[in-house]
Amino acid sequence: MKTIQRGSWRLSLQAGLLAGTCMCMAGVAQAADPMVKACAKDGQFIIGFSQANNAEPYRQHVNDELTAAAKEVPGFTLQIADGAGNVNTQTSQVDNFITQKVDLLLISPFEAAPLTPAVKRAMDAGIPVIELDRKTVGDPGKDYTAFIGGDNYKIALEAGKYTAKTLLPEGGEAAVLEGLPSSTPAVERLNGFKDGVKENAKIQVVAEQAADWVPDKAQTAFSAMLQAHPDIKVLYASNDMMAAGALLAAKGAGKQVKIIGTDGLPGPAGGIEAVAKGDWAATFTYPTGAKEAIEMSKKILLDCASSVEPVVTVETTAITAENAKQLMGK
Amino acid sequence: MSEQKISEAIGPVPAAPVHRDPLALIVRFQSLIGLVLVAIGGVIFSPRRHGEILFLDPDNIANIVRAVSETGIIAIGMTFVIITAGIDLSVGAVLGLSSVVTATMMISGGFGLIPTILAVLIMGIVFGTIQGTISSRFRLEPFIVTLAGLQAARGLALVVSGNQYINISYGDGPGLAPPVFAILGERLFNNTVPVATIVFIVFAAIATIVLNTTRFGRYVFAVGGNERAARISGVPVSMVKVSVYAITGFAAALAGIVHAGQFNFGSANDGMGYELTAIAAVVIGGTSLFGGSGSMVGTVAGTIMLGALANILQLNNITPALQLLATAAIIVLAAVLQSLVRRREGLGR
Repeated sequence: MKTIQRGSWRLSLQAGLLAGTCMCMAGVAQAADPMVKACAKDGQFIIGFSQANNAEPYRQHVNDELTAAAKEVPGFTLQIADGAGNVNTQTSQVDNFITQKVDLLLISPFEAAPLTPAVKRAMDAGIPVIELDRKTVGDPGKDYTAFIGGDNYKIALEAGKYTAKTLLPEGGEAAVLEGLPSSTPAVERLNGFKDGVKENAKIQVVAEQAADWVPDKAQTAFSAMLQAHPDIKVLYASNDMMAAGALLAAKGAGKQVKIIGTDGLPGPAGGIEAVAKGDWAATFTYPTGAKEAIEMSKKILLDCASSVEPVVTVETTAITAENAKQLMGK
Repeated sequence: MSEQKISEAIGPVPAAPVHRDPLALIVRFQSLIGLVLVAIGGVIFSPRRHGEILFLDPDNIANIVRAVSETGIIAIGMTFVIITAGIDLSVGAVLGLSSVVTATMMISGGFGLIPTILAVLIMGIVFGTIQGTISSRFRLEPFIVTLAGLQAARGLALVVSGNQYINISYGDGPGLAPPVFAILGERLFNNTVPVATIVFIVFAAIATIVLNTTRFGRYVFAVGGNERAARISGVPVSMVKVSVYAITGFAAALAGIVHAGQFNFGSANDGMGYELTAIAAVVIGGTSLFGGSGSMVGTVAGTIMLGALANILQLNNITPALQLLATAAIIVLAAVLQSLVRRREGLGR
């Protein structure tokens, strides 16, 4: 797409502000100025990715997929900064990206409200911001360029419904391992699952404990749960790592428990393989949105798009005994 | 200087070597020297755009000093404790507790700005005082007492927050915080100087004056230098020991308020691991973990140096692994230098 650059800087700024409104009118959008003035088909661009916490395997998986997707585009250089699970560190890294004047900012904010001012500073500096997996406060298309990601609540809701319909149609006791208490995804996944199992009134959630996303704490917590409630039939773990820990606890106690993970990570330690082997009943993927993010970056930086879709929701896939083996190769 | 202060407080001590060891001089200013070296390295290795050195960009300098303001405030309190040969591991957790209490009081409690800030600061002082009292009354290692304090503060924070995070929204009316509180996240003087940094620097200035010019400051050095000698010469050792933990409690609470204001948020997980960053800054700043010597200016320089190092590595897109390794090397170097000086001055240990 070739775009004629005309009009003053002020005009382009206005066009940028109006971009959200123009979404619905394709004809108008085409005539508007590009979101990034320096956009060019064969240009060289630096994309900064502010990652919340590299220490989580899921986030490492996101980094890998993003790196792979960015490599496909000759003009893109991807820089990843690790927020190390600390909003202060992550804020300073976003500020550093602004100082470096990166051409586009990708961010998975560790927490929403704390990173909101930093994202605003980037937008004010004319850097498009695509939020990946987690949002800051405000409206996509206005306070930040776009959001790409899954929906934690919906994914856990699916897991809850799957439990209600398929795993425990006759009812029984279920338990939940929560992530780090008071972190956004932990709260959303806990609430989602609990709402999902409500479809079946015969299911009782008898125990919920926080295991901070890590397998060792999950093993300890689930061992204790099985002591207190020997009849637990289903365990919902808010991520794959905790599901792995819970499996060890179930084996240790000599119990057959149907375990559901979340994230659906690839690789030998991931959830897909665990389901294929029959260790877990299911896992629900939490899509990274990496490919979608790089696609959107191409539209903005290479194709000189004047607007992009403000919200891209990537759907979850339920990985069960039926499809796990088939998905393992991918 | 510190030897001089001890002698003022506790009478004659074996005279310090008359000719100052050049190595001792280096150690005394090690973090300032380190800061200068890191700054020079920053300029040399800084990415440039249109000939402009990014590292020296005023915005970038502001980023560095903003990023270290919370750990800096904590490190200042920690300097008092470490000079008395103590340690306070609870500070990061007290920061988390304070940010949660700040958010809860303003959002659910409907308290105004001043009552909230006063209550949180008093809470920090009380928390520190309890730790100091337990440690001094039962002659327990501060390490153990404050380790327990860390757990207690995180637990209390989870109880207060009900396992949820608390967003701070601003406005007039119930459930909203006074808009003026948001100033902690802003920059003054034509959008250049972060308010969080101003809090850090003002607190550092006050602490420097207290440590270097008051009788209390001399007592702190005396207790850390030789507790028995201090006691014999009439220094209220227990009072001093309790007070320094009250100071770290206050500092952590202040940092928690700054945190809540900067990030419009209170979470029980805030400030995780800050105690270790603060201890690192204090040690790099030339304060001895054996007590008896230390400098506030050194702590400030050490804090900013760590921030500048992180900044220059990220500007060059260097992996965070290297940053941790570099910090490790600097800590060891600082400790080795101190130990060499102690040995030369015949202080042993």
